[in-house]
Amino acid sequence: MPTHTPSFPDLLFADAARLRRWETLLMAHLDAAGYRELHPSLVMRSPDNPNTVRFFDGDQLVALRWDFTEALARTLVRRFQDPPQRLSYAGPVFRRPTNSWDPVERFEVGCEHIHVDREQRIEADRELAGLLMAVPALLGLEGCLLHIGHAALLRRPLEAEAIPRELGLEVARVLDRRAIHRAAELLQGHPAKDRLLAHAEILLSGPDGPGSLDDLARGPYGALLEAEALQLRRVLDRLSSRLPQGLTLRLDMGDLRGLGFYSGPTLRLWAPGAQRELAAGGRYDGLFPELGRPWFAAGFCVRLTTLLELGDPQEEAE
Amino acid sequence: MKPLLIALPKGRLEEELLPRLKGSAFELDPKALKSRRLRIPMADPGLNAILLKGADLPRYVAGGVAALGVVGSDILDECPVDLMELADLDFGVCRLSLCGPAATSLERLRALPHLRIATKFPVATGRWLRQEGITAELVPLQSSVELAPVLGLADAIVDLVQSGRTLQAHHLAELAVLGRASARLVACRGQYLSEPDRIGPLARALAGLMKGGTAAS
Repeated sequence: MPTHTPSFPDLLFADAARLRRWETLLMAHLDAAGYRELHPSLVMRSPDNPNTVRFFDGDQLVALRWDFTEALARTLVRRFQDPPQRLSYAGPVFRRPTNSWDPVERFEVGCEHIHVDREQRIEADRELAGLLMAVPALLGLEGCLLHIGHAALLRRPLEAEAIPRELGLEVARVLDRRAIHRAAELLQGHPAKDRLLAHAEILLSGPDGPGSLDDLARGPYGALLEAEALQLRRVLDRLSSRLPQGLTLRLDMGDLRGLGFYSGPTLRLWAPGAQRELAAGGRYDGLFPELGRPWFAAGFCVRLTTLLELGDPQEEAE
Repeated sequence: MKPLLIALPKGRLEEELLPRLKGSAFELDPKALKSRRLRIPMADPGLNAILLKGADLPRYVAGGVAALGVVGSDILDECPVDLMELADLDFGVCRLSLCGPAATSLERLRALPHLRIATKFPVATGRWLRQEGITAELVPLQSSVELAPVLGLADAIVDLVQSGRTLQAHHLAELAVLGRASARLVACRGQYLSEPDRIGPLARALAGLMKGGTAAS
Protein backbone atom coordinates (compact mmCIF):
# COMPACT_ATOMS: atom_id res chain seq x y z
CA MET A 1 0.00 0.00 0.00
CA PRO A 2 1.52 3.38 -0.91
CA THR A 3 2.44 5.45 2.13
CA HIS A 4 2.31 8.83 0.49
CA THR A 5 1.11 10.51 -2.69
CA PRO A 6 3.30 13.58 -3.20
CA SER A 7 1.73 14.39 -6.57
CA PHE A 8 -1.71 14.59 -5.01
CA PRO A 9 -1.12 16.13 -1.59
CA ASP A 10 -3.65 15.77 1.21
CA LEU A 11 -4.19 19.07 2.99
CA LEU A 12 -4.43 18.59 6.73
CA PHE A 13 -6.16 20.99 9.12
CA ALA A 14 -3.94 24.08 8.99
CA ASP A 15 -3.38 23.99 5.23
CA ALA A 16 -7.04 23.21 4.55
CA ALA A 17 -8.04 26.21 6.66
CA ARG A 18 -5.54 28.46 4.85
CA LEU A 19 -6.76 27.35 1.47
CA ARG A 20 -10.39 28.02 2.44
CA ARG A 21 -9.50 31.46 3.86
CA TRP A 22 -7.51 32.53 0.79
CA GLU A 23 -10.19 31.29 -1.59
CA THR A 24 -12.84 33.23 0.33
CA LEU A 25 -10.74 36.41 0.41
CA LEU A 26 -9.86 36.31 -3.27
CA MET A 27 -13.33 35.37 -4.47
CA ALA A 28 -14.80 38.24 -2.42
CA HIS A 29 -12.21 40.57 -4.01
CA LEU A 30 -13.26 39.47 -7.49
CA ASP A 31 -16.96 39.51 -6.63
CA ALA A 32 -16.66 43.12 -5.45
CA ALA A 33 -15.28 44.01 -8.88
CA GLY A 34 -18.26 42.38 -10.61
CA TYR A 35 -16.73 38.97 -11.45
CA ARG A 36 -19.29 36.15 -11.15
CA GLU A 37 -18.28 32.59 -10.42
CA LEU A 38 -18.56 29.81 -12.97
CA HIS A 39 -17.76 26.26 -11.98
CA PRO A 40 -16.85 24.12 -14.99
CA SER A 41 -16.85 20.34 -14.59
CA LEU A 42 -13.82 18.62 -13.11
CA VAL A 43 -13.79 16.27 -16.11
CA MET A 44 -12.90 17.53 -19.58
CA ARG A 45 -13.31 15.72 -22.88
CA SER A 46 -10.95 15.52 -25.88
CA PRO A 47 -7.69 15.79 -23.97
CA ASP A 48 -4.83 16.01 -26.44
CA ASN A 49 -2.35 17.33 -23.90
CA PRO A 50 -0.01 14.55 -22.67
CA ASN A 51 0.59 16.39 -19.40
CA THR A 52 -2.99 15.86 -18.28
CA VAL A 53 -4.31 13.13 -15.96
CA ARG A 54 -6.24 11.00 -18.48
CA PHE A 55 -8.45 7.99 -18.02
CA PHE A 56 -11.23 6.11 -19.79
CA ASP A 57 -14.85 6.85 -18.99
CA GLY A 58 -16.32 3.77 -20.67
CA ASP A 59 -14.75 3.90 -24.11
CA GLN A 60 -14.17 7.65 -24.07
CA LEU A 61 -10.81 9.18 -23.13
CA VAL A 62 -11.28 12.07 -20.70
CA ALA A 63 -9.04 14.07 -18.38
CA LEU A 64 -9.29 15.84 -15.08
CA ARG A 65 -9.61 19.62 -15.60
CA TRP A 66 -6.11 20.72 -16.53
CA ASP A 67 -6.78 24.43 -17.00
CA PHE A 68 -9.63 26.67 -15.88
CA THR A 69 -9.30 29.11 -18.77
CA GLU A 70 -9.75 26.39 -21.36
CA ALA A 71 -12.53 24.69 -19.36
CA LEU A 72 -14.41 27.98 -19.04
CA ALA A 73 -13.91 28.81 -22.73
CA ARG A 74 -15.37 25.45 -23.78
CA THR A 75 -18.38 26.05 -21.51
CA LEU A 76 -18.93 29.60 -22.74
CA VAL A 77 -18.89 28.82 -26.47
CA ARG A 78 -21.33 25.96 -25.86
CA ARG A 79 -23.76 27.73 -23.54
CA PHE A 80 -23.72 31.47 -24.38
CA GLN A 81 -24.46 33.46 -27.52
CA ASP A 82 -22.90 36.58 -25.98
CA PRO A 83 -20.21 36.06 -23.37
CA PRO A 84 -20.65 37.04 -19.74
CA GLN A 85 -17.98 39.72 -19.43
CA ARG A 86 -16.49 39.07 -16.02
CA LEU A 87 -15.97 35.53 -14.68
CA SER A 88 -14.23 34.10 -11.64
CA TYR A 89 -13.37 30.56 -10.60
CA ALA A 90 -11.84 28.59 -7.75
CA GLY A 91 -10.79 24.97 -7.39
CA PRO A 92 -8.16 22.41 -8.35
CA VAL A 93 -6.51 21.74 -11.71
CA PHE A 94 -4.50 18.62 -12.55
CA ARG A 95 -1.45 19.01 -14.79
CA ARG A 96 1.88 17.19 -14.78
CA PRO A 97 4.64 19.67 -13.91
CA THR A 98 8.11 19.96 -15.42
CA ASN A 99 9.72 19.19 -12.07
CA SER A 100 8.65 15.65 -11.22
CA TRP A 101 8.52 16.43 -7.48
CA ASP A 102 6.00 19.28 -7.84
CA PRO A 103 2.31 18.51 -7.22
CA VAL A 104 0.03 17.49 -10.08
CA GLU A 105 -3.06 18.72 -8.22
CA ARG A 106 -2.92 22.48 -7.78
CA PHE A 107 -5.40 24.94 -6.33
CA GLU A 108 -6.22 28.15 -8.14
CA VAL A 109 -8.44 31.21 -7.91
CA GLY A 110 -8.71 33.38 -10.98
CA CYS A 111 -10.74 35.55 -13.29
CA GLU A 112 -11.35 36.15 -16.98
CA HIS A 113 -12.47 39.32 -18.76
CA ILE A 114 -14.15 38.47 -22.08
CA HIS A 115 -15.28 41.16 -24.51
CA VAL A 116 -16.64 41.45 -28.01
CA ASP A 117 -15.37 44.95 -28.69
CA ARG A 118 -11.68 45.19 -29.63
CA GLU A 119 -11.53 48.71 -28.16
CA GLN A 120 -12.21 47.31 -24.70
CA ARG A 121 -8.90 45.50 -24.58
CA ILE A 122 -6.77 48.22 -23.01
CA GLU A 123 -9.33 48.99 -20.33
CA ALA A 124 -9.76 45.28 -19.55
CA ASP A 125 -5.99 44.80 -19.23
CA ARG A 126 -5.75 47.73 -16.83
CA GLU A 127 -8.66 46.44 -14.78
CA LEU A 128 -7.05 43.02 -14.44
CA ALA A 129 -3.66 44.47 -13.54
CA GLY A 130 -5.34 46.62 -10.89
CA LEU A 131 -7.09 43.58 -9.43
CA LEU A 132 -3.87 41.59 -9.36
CA MET A 133 -1.92 44.44 -7.76
CA ALA A 134 -4.28 44.28 -4.77
CA VAL A 135 -3.68 40.55 -4.20
CA PRO A 136 -0.40 40.70 -2.18
CA ALA A 137 -1.93 43.02 0.42
CA LEU A 138 -5.05 40.82 0.65
CA LEU A 139 -2.88 37.79 1.34
CA GLY A 140 -0.55 39.65 3.70
CA LEU A 141 2.48 39.32 1.42
CA GLU A 142 5.26 41.90 1.44
CA GLY A 143 8.10 42.57 -0.98
CA CYS A 144 6.32 41.11 -4.02
CA LEU A 145 7.30 41.84 -7.61
CA LEU A 146 4.85 42.29 -10.45
CA HIS A 147 6.48 41.50 -13.79
CA ILE A 148 4.91 42.94 -16.92
CA GLY A 149 5.79 41.35 -20.25
CA HIS A 150 4.34 41.19 -23.75
CA ALA A 151 4.01 38.03 -25.84
CA ALA A 152 4.18 39.96 -29.13
CA LEU A 153 7.76 41.11 -28.43
CA LEU A 154 9.03 37.76 -29.66
CA ARG A 155 6.02 36.47 -31.57
CA ARG A 156 5.92 39.33 -34.12
CA PRO A 157 9.63 39.21 -35.07
CA LEU A 158 9.38 35.41 -35.46
CA GLU A 159 6.36 35.85 -37.75
CA ALA A 160 8.04 38.69 -39.66
CA GLU A 161 11.04 36.43 -40.34
CA ALA A 162 8.75 33.55 -41.41
CA ILE A 163 10.11 31.22 -38.72
CA PRO A 164 8.02 28.00 -38.78
CA ARG A 165 5.65 27.73 -35.81
CA GLU A 166 7.30 24.65 -34.25
CA LEU A 167 10.77 26.20 -34.49
CA GLY A 168 9.40 29.46 -33.09
CA LEU A 169 7.93 27.68 -30.08
CA GLU A 170 11.22 25.87 -29.50
CA VAL A 171 13.11 29.19 -29.70
CA ALA A 172 10.65 30.67 -27.19
CA ARG A 173 11.10 27.66 -24.92
CA VAL A 174 14.89 28.02 -24.73
CA LEU A 175 14.70 31.80 -24.40
CA ASP A 176 12.25 31.34 -21.52
CA ARG A 177 15.18 29.53 -19.83
CA ARG A 178 17.35 32.55 -20.78
CA ALA A 179 19.46 30.15 -22.88
CA ILE A 180 20.34 32.42 -25.78
CA HIS A 181 23.18 30.06 -26.76
CA ARG A 182 20.58 27.33 -27.39
CA ALA A 183 18.56 29.74 -29.55
CA ALA A 184 21.72 30.33 -31.59
CA GLU A 185 21.99 26.57 -32.18
CA LEU A 186 18.33 26.31 -33.18
CA LEU A 187 18.57 29.22 -35.64
CA GLN A 188 21.86 28.03 -37.15
CA GLY A 189 21.84 28.68 -40.90
CA HIS A 190 18.72 30.86 -40.90
CA PRO A 191 19.22 34.20 -42.68
CA ALA A 192 17.58 36.13 -39.80
CA LYS A 193 19.71 34.45 -37.11
CA ASP A 194 21.85 37.48 -36.24
CA ARG A 195 18.88 39.87 -36.14
CA LEU A 196 16.82 37.55 -33.96
CA LEU A 197 19.70 36.90 -31.57
CA ALA A 198 20.40 40.64 -31.24
CA HIS A 199 16.72 41.10 -30.43
CA ALA A 200 16.80 38.21 -27.93
CA GLU A 201 19.78 39.84 -26.17
CA ILE A 202 17.63 42.92 -25.60
CA LEU A 203 14.64 40.89 -24.38
CA LEU A 204 16.78 38.90 -21.96
CA SER A 205 18.76 41.84 -20.61
CA GLY A 206 16.95 41.24 -17.32
CA PRO A 207 13.85 42.37 -15.51
CA ASP A 208 14.31 46.11 -15.67
CA GLY A 209 12.57 49.45 -15.70
CA PRO A 210 11.15 51.30 -18.70
CA GLY A 211 14.73 52.12 -19.81
CA SER A 212 14.91 48.77 -21.57
CA LEU A 213 12.10 49.93 -23.88
CA ASP A 214 14.59 52.44 -25.30
CA ASP A 215 16.94 49.54 -26.09
CA LEU A 216 14.04 47.78 -27.77
CA ALA A 217 13.35 50.85 -29.93
CA ARG A 218 17.01 50.94 -31.02
CA GLY A 219 17.07 47.19 -31.75
CA PRO A 220 16.52 45.40 -35.07
CA TYR A 221 12.73 45.22 -34.61
CA GLY A 222 12.23 48.65 -33.03
CA ALA A 223 9.93 49.86 -35.83
CA LEU A 224 7.96 46.61 -35.98
CA LEU A 225 7.28 46.69 -32.24
CA GLU A 226 6.59 50.41 -31.90
CA ALA A 227 2.92 49.91 -30.96
CA GLU A 228 3.71 47.23 -28.36
CA ALA A 229 6.48 49.34 -26.83
CA LEU A 230 4.12 52.32 -26.58
CA GLN A 231 1.45 50.11 -25.02
CA LEU A 232 3.93 48.76 -22.45
CA ARG A 233 5.18 52.26 -21.63
CA ARG A 234 1.60 53.42 -21.02
CA VAL A 235 0.78 50.35 -18.92
CA LEU A 236 3.89 50.89 -16.80
CA ASP A 237 3.14 54.61 -16.35
CA ARG A 238 -0.46 53.93 -15.42
CA LEU A 239 0.31 51.09 -13.02
CA SER A 240 3.27 52.86 -11.39
CA SER A 241 0.98 55.68 -10.31
CA ARG A 242 -1.43 53.22 -8.64
CA LEU A 243 1.15 50.86 -7.17
CA PRO A 244 0.28 49.69 -3.64
CA GLN A 245 2.95 50.04 -0.98
CA GLY A 246 5.32 47.06 -0.80
CA LEU A 247 4.79 45.97 -4.41
CA THR A 248 7.51 46.56 -7.02
CA LEU A 249 6.67 46.81 -10.70
CA ARG A 250 9.16 45.53 -13.27
CA LEU A 251 9.21 45.23 -17.00
CA ASP A 252 10.30 41.69 -17.94
CA MET A 253 10.60 41.49 -21.71
CA GLY A 254 12.07 38.01 -21.27
CA ASP A 255 8.77 36.60 -19.99
CA LEU A 256 8.15 34.25 -22.91
CA ARG A 257 6.34 31.43 -21.12
CA GLY A 258 3.15 30.41 -22.90
CA LEU A 259 4.03 32.15 -26.14
CA GLY A 260 1.75 29.77 -28.02
CA PHE A 261 -1.18 30.95 -25.88
CA TYR A 262 -0.68 34.59 -24.92
CA SER A 263 -1.06 37.31 -27.54
CA GLY A 264 -0.50 40.57 -25.63
CA PRO A 265 0.58 41.94 -22.25
CA THR A 266 1.41 39.33 -19.59
CA LEU A 267 1.48 39.56 -15.80
CA ARG A 268 3.41 37.50 -13.27
CA LEU A 269 3.42 38.04 -9.54
CA TRP A 270 6.47 36.85 -7.63
CA ALA A 271 6.80 36.54 -3.89
CA PRO A 272 10.21 36.51 -2.23
CA GLY A 273 11.36 32.93 -1.66
CA ALA A 274 8.76 31.35 -3.94
CA GLN A 275 10.03 28.78 -6.43
CA ARG A 276 7.13 29.46 -8.79
CA GLU A 277 5.13 32.56 -9.56
CA LEU A 278 2.27 33.30 -7.21
CA ALA A 279 0.01 34.47 -10.02
CA ALA A 280 0.20 34.53 -13.79
CA GLY A 281 -1.95 35.72 -16.63
CA GLY A 282 -2.28 37.94 -19.63
CA ARG A 283 -4.12 38.59 -22.86
CA TYR A 284 -5.02 35.57 -25.00
CA ASP A 285 -7.01 36.76 -28.00
CA GLY A 286 -6.44 33.57 -30.00
CA LEU A 287 -8.43 31.07 -27.90
CA PHE A 288 -12.05 32.06 -28.61
CA PRO A 289 -11.57 32.52 -32.38
CA GLU A 290 -10.11 28.97 -32.39
CA LEU A 291 -13.35 27.81 -30.77
CA GLY A 292 -15.42 29.68 -33.32
CA ARG A 293 -16.25 32.91 -31.47
CA PRO A 294 -14.81 36.35 -32.33
CA TRP A 295 -14.25 37.30 -28.70
CA PHE A 296 -11.25 38.90 -27.01
CA ALA A 297 -10.08 37.79 -23.58
CA ALA A 298 -7.57 38.24 -20.78
CA GLY A 299 -7.30 36.89 -17.27
CA PHE A 300 -5.07 35.76 -14.46
CA CYS A 301 -4.99 33.02 -11.86
CA VAL A 302 -3.54 33.04 -8.37
CA ARG A 303 -1.70 29.80 -7.62
CA LEU A 304 -2.70 28.96 -4.08
CA THR A 305 -0.48 25.87 -4.05
CA THR A 306 2.58 28.12 -4.36
CA LEU A 307 1.26 30.17 -1.48
CA LEU A 308 0.77 27.04 0.64
CA GLU A 309 4.42 26.14 0.02
CA LEU A 310 5.45 29.59 1.28
CA GLY A 311 3.65 29.13 4.60
CA ASP A 312 1.23 31.66 5.99
CA PRO A 313 2.61 35.21 5.79
CA GLN A 314 -0.07 36.58 8.14
CA GLU A 315 0.57 33.96 10.82
CA GLU A 316 4.33 34.48 10.54
CA ALA A 317 3.87 38.24 10.92
CA GLU A 318 1.85 37.67 14.11
CA MET B 1 20.70 37.33 5.35
CA LYS B 2 21.57 33.64 4.85
CA PRO B 3 24.64 32.95 2.67
CA LEU B 4 23.64 32.17 -0.86
CA LEU B 5 24.45 28.65 -2.07
CA ILE B 6 26.20 27.92 -5.36
CA ALA B 7 26.21 24.30 -6.55
CA LEU B 8 29.44 23.17 -8.23
CA PRO B 9 29.99 19.82 -9.94
CA LYS B 10 32.30 17.06 -8.74
CA GLY B 11 34.37 15.15 -11.25
CA ARG B 12 35.10 16.00 -14.88
CA LEU B 13 34.16 19.68 -14.73
CA GLU B 14 35.51 20.29 -11.20
CA GLU B 15 39.14 20.07 -12.31
CA GLU B 16 38.67 22.77 -14.92
CA LEU B 17 36.38 24.91 -12.82
CA LEU B 18 38.13 25.36 -9.47
CA PRO B 19 41.30 27.02 -10.84
CA ARG B 20 39.12 29.61 -12.59
CA LEU B 21 37.67 30.70 -9.24
CA LYS B 22 41.06 31.42 -7.62
CA GLY B 23 41.58 35.01 -6.51
CA SER B 24 37.93 35.91 -6.97
CA ALA B 25 34.95 36.41 -4.67
CA PHE B 26 33.99 32.83 -5.56
CA GLU B 27 37.26 31.16 -4.49
CA LEU B 28 36.60 28.17 -2.25
CA ASP B 29 38.15 28.01 1.21
CA PRO B 30 41.03 25.52 0.69
CA LYS B 31 40.84 24.06 4.20
CA ALA B 32 37.11 23.48 3.98
CA LEU B 33 37.59 21.99 0.53
CA LYS B 34 39.95 19.34 1.92
CA SER B 35 37.65 18.60 4.87
CA ARG B 36 34.30 16.80 4.74
CA ARG B 37 32.33 20.02 5.25
CA LEU B 38 29.10 20.12 3.33
CA ARG B 39 28.97 23.88 2.84
CA ILE B 40 32.26 25.32 1.69
CA PRO B 41 32.71 29.03 2.37
CA MET B 42 33.73 31.18 -0.58
CA ALA B 43 35.94 34.29 -0.37
CA ASP B 44 32.80 36.45 -0.29
CA PRO B 45 31.28 35.81 3.16
CA GLY B 46 27.81 35.95 1.66
CA LEU B 47 28.48 32.92 -0.53
CA ASN B 48 28.82 29.19 0.15
CA ALA B 49 29.45 26.37 -2.29
CA ILE B 50 28.25 22.79 -2.28
CA LEU B 51 29.96 20.14 -4.39
CA LEU B 52 27.53 17.70 -5.97
CA LYS B 53 27.49 14.88 -8.49
CA GLY B 54 26.43 16.30 -11.81
CA ALA B 55 23.28 14.22 -12.09
CA ASP B 56 21.98 15.54 -8.75
CA LEU B 57 22.95 19.16 -9.27
CA PRO B 58 20.02 20.37 -11.46
CA ARG B 59 17.52 19.24 -8.84
CA TYR B 60 19.27 21.22 -6.08
CA VAL B 61 19.07 24.33 -8.24
CA ALA B 62 15.56 23.79 -9.60
CA GLY B 63 14.36 23.03 -6.07
CA GLY B 64 15.72 26.36 -4.83
CA VAL B 65 18.34 24.93 -2.44
CA ALA B 66 21.12 26.51 -4.52
CA ALA B 67 20.55 29.80 -6.32
CA LEU B 68 23.17 29.16 -9.01
CA GLY B 69 25.04 26.16 -10.31
CA VAL B 70 27.45 24.89 -12.93
CA VAL B 71 26.57 21.68 -14.75
CA GLY B 72 27.26 19.94 -18.06
CA SER B 73 24.71 20.43 -20.83
CA ASP B 74 24.77 16.64 -21.33
CA ILE B 75 23.21 16.27 -17.88
CA LEU B 76 20.74 19.11 -18.39
CA ASP B 77 19.50 17.46 -21.57
CA GLU B 78 18.72 14.28 -19.67
CA CYS B 79 16.71 15.71 -16.79
CA PRO B 80 13.47 17.60 -17.31
CA VAL B 81 13.69 20.28 -14.61
CA ASP B 82 12.53 23.86 -14.72
CA LEU B 83 15.55 26.11 -14.30
CA MET B 84 17.27 28.97 -16.07
CA GLU B 85 20.28 28.19 -18.27
CA LEU B 86 22.04 31.53 -18.25
CA ALA B 87 25.26 30.91 -20.17
CA ASP B 88 27.36 28.46 -22.12
CA LEU B 89 30.64 28.65 -20.19
CA ASP B 90 32.69 27.17 -23.03
CA PHE B 91 34.77 24.81 -20.91
CA GLY B 92 34.52 21.08 -20.38
CA VAL B 93 33.74 20.93 -24.07
CA CYS B 94 33.27 17.46 -25.53
CA ARG B 95 31.23 15.60 -28.12
CA LEU B 96 28.30 13.28 -27.51
CA SER B 97 29.07 10.53 -29.98
CA LEU B 98 27.91 7.16 -31.21
CA CYS B 99 30.89 4.83 -30.90
CA GLY B 100 31.39 1.21 -31.86
CA PRO B 101 34.08 -1.35 -32.61
CA ALA B 102 36.70 0.18 -34.90
CA ALA B 103 35.86 -2.31 -37.64
CA THR B 104 32.19 -1.34 -37.88
CA SER B 105 30.36 1.65 -39.41
CA LEU B 106 27.07 3.49 -38.97
CA GLU B 107 25.71 1.77 -42.08
CA ARG B 108 26.50 -1.65 -40.64
CA LEU B 109 24.81 -0.76 -37.38
CA ARG B 110 21.73 0.49 -39.27
CA ALA B 111 21.51 -2.87 -41.01
CA LEU B 112 21.51 -4.91 -37.79
CA PRO B 113 18.13 -6.62 -37.15
CA HIS B 114 18.31 -5.80 -33.44
CA LEU B 115 20.63 -2.93 -32.67
CA ARG B 116 21.51 -2.44 -29.00
CA ILE B 117 23.05 0.84 -27.83
CA ALA B 118 24.37 1.28 -24.29
CA THR B 119 24.34 4.79 -22.88
CA LYS B 120 24.10 7.08 -19.90
CA PHE B 121 22.20 9.51 -22.13
CA PRO B 122 18.90 7.85 -23.15
CA VAL B 123 17.03 11.13 -23.82
CA ALA B 124 19.59 12.62 -26.21
CA THR B 125 20.18 9.21 -27.80
CA GLY B 126 16.46 8.58 -28.29
CA ARG B 127 16.03 12.02 -29.88
CA TRP B 128 18.91 11.40 -32.30
CA LEU B 129 17.64 7.91 -33.19
CA ARG B 130 14.22 9.38 -34.04
CA GLN B 131 15.84 12.08 -36.21
CA GLU B 132 17.87 9.44 -38.03
CA GLY B 133 14.97 6.98 -38.35
CA ILE B 134 16.92 4.24 -36.57
CA THR B 135 15.22 1.67 -34.33
CA ALA B 136 17.35 0.42 -31.46
CA GLU B 137 17.12 -1.01 -27.98
CA LEU B 138 18.64 1.35 -25.44
CA VAL B 139 20.67 -0.32 -22.69
CA PRO B 140 20.84 2.11 -19.77
CA LEU B 141 24.17 2.08 -17.91
CA GLN B 142 25.61 4.37 -15.25
CA SER B 143 29.38 3.92 -15.68
CA SER B 144 32.16 2.41 -17.82
CA VAL B 145 29.85 2.39 -20.82
CA GLU B 146 32.75 1.61 -23.15
CA LEU B 147 32.88 -1.91 -21.74
CA ALA B 148 29.44 -2.75 -23.17
CA PRO B 149 30.47 -3.38 -26.80
CA VAL B 150 33.77 -4.96 -25.74
CA LEU B 151 31.98 -7.53 -23.56
CA GLY B 152 29.01 -8.03 -25.89
CA LEU B 153 26.29 -6.29 -23.88
CA ALA B 154 25.62 -3.84 -26.73
CA ASP B 155 26.61 -3.26 -30.37
CA ALA B 156 27.53 0.37 -29.82
CA ILE B 157 27.51 3.12 -27.21
CA VAL B 158 26.59 6.78 -27.02
CA ASP B 159 28.97 8.57 -24.69
CA LEU B 160 30.94 11.76 -24.17
CA VAL B 161 34.21 11.93 -26.08
CA GLN B 162 36.84 14.51 -25.22
CA SER B 163 40.29 13.36 -26.32
CA GLY B 164 39.27 9.94 -27.68
CA ARG B 165 41.97 8.13 -25.68
CA THR B 166 39.48 5.96 -23.74
CA LEU B 167 37.90 4.87 -27.01
CA GLN B 168 41.28 3.97 -28.49
CA ALA B 169 42.19 1.96 -25.42
CA HIS B 170 39.09 -0.18 -25.96
CA HIS B 171 39.49 -0.40 -29.76
CA LEU B 172 36.40 1.72 -30.34
CA ALA B 173 35.85 4.49 -32.89
CA GLU B 174 33.50 7.48 -33.21
CA LEU B 175 30.85 6.69 -35.82
CA ALA B 176 28.64 9.77 -35.55
CA VAL B 177 28.55 12.99 -33.53
CA LEU B 178 25.17 13.62 -31.90
CA GLY B 179 26.00 16.99 -30.42
CA ARG B 180 28.30 19.20 -28.38
CA ALA B 181 28.34 19.34 -24.60
CA SER B 182 29.88 21.99 -22.35
CA ALA B 183 29.54 23.51 -18.88
CA ARG B 184 26.50 25.74 -18.36
CA LEU B 185 25.65 28.30 -15.70
CA VAL B 186 22.18 27.56 -14.33
CA ALA B 187 19.94 29.44 -11.90
CA CYS B 188 16.87 28.70 -9.85
CA ARG B 189 13.96 30.26 -11.74
CA GLY B 190 12.20 31.43 -8.59
CA GLN B 191 15.24 33.12 -7.06
CA TYR B 192 16.43 34.59 -10.35
CA LEU B 193 13.09 36.23 -11.06
CA SER B 194 12.00 37.14 -7.53
CA GLU B 195 15.40 38.48 -6.40
CA PRO B 196 16.84 39.90 -9.63
CA ASP B 197 18.95 42.56 -7.89
CA ARG B 198 20.75 39.92 -5.80
CA ILE B 199 21.08 36.99 -8.21
CA GLY B 200 21.51 38.81 -11.55
CA PRO B 201 24.84 40.58 -10.78
CA LEU B 202 26.26 37.41 -9.16
CA ALA B 203 25.32 35.35 -12.19
CA ARG B 204 26.94 37.85 -14.55
CA ALA B 205 30.11 37.96 -12.44
CA LEU B 206 30.35 34.17 -12.26
CA ALA B 207 29.76 33.77 -16.00
CA GLY B 208 32.38 36.43 -16.79
CA LEU B 209 34.91 34.73 -14.55
CA MET B 210 34.33 31.26 -15.95
CA LYS B 211 34.54 32.47 -19.50
CA GLY B 212 37.99 33.82 -18.76
CA GLY B 213 37.22 37.40 -17.73
CA THR B 214 37.28 38.88 -14.26
CA ALA B 215 34.57 38.86 -11.66
CA ALA B 216 33.42 41.86 -9.75
CA SER B 217 33.52 40.93 -6.09
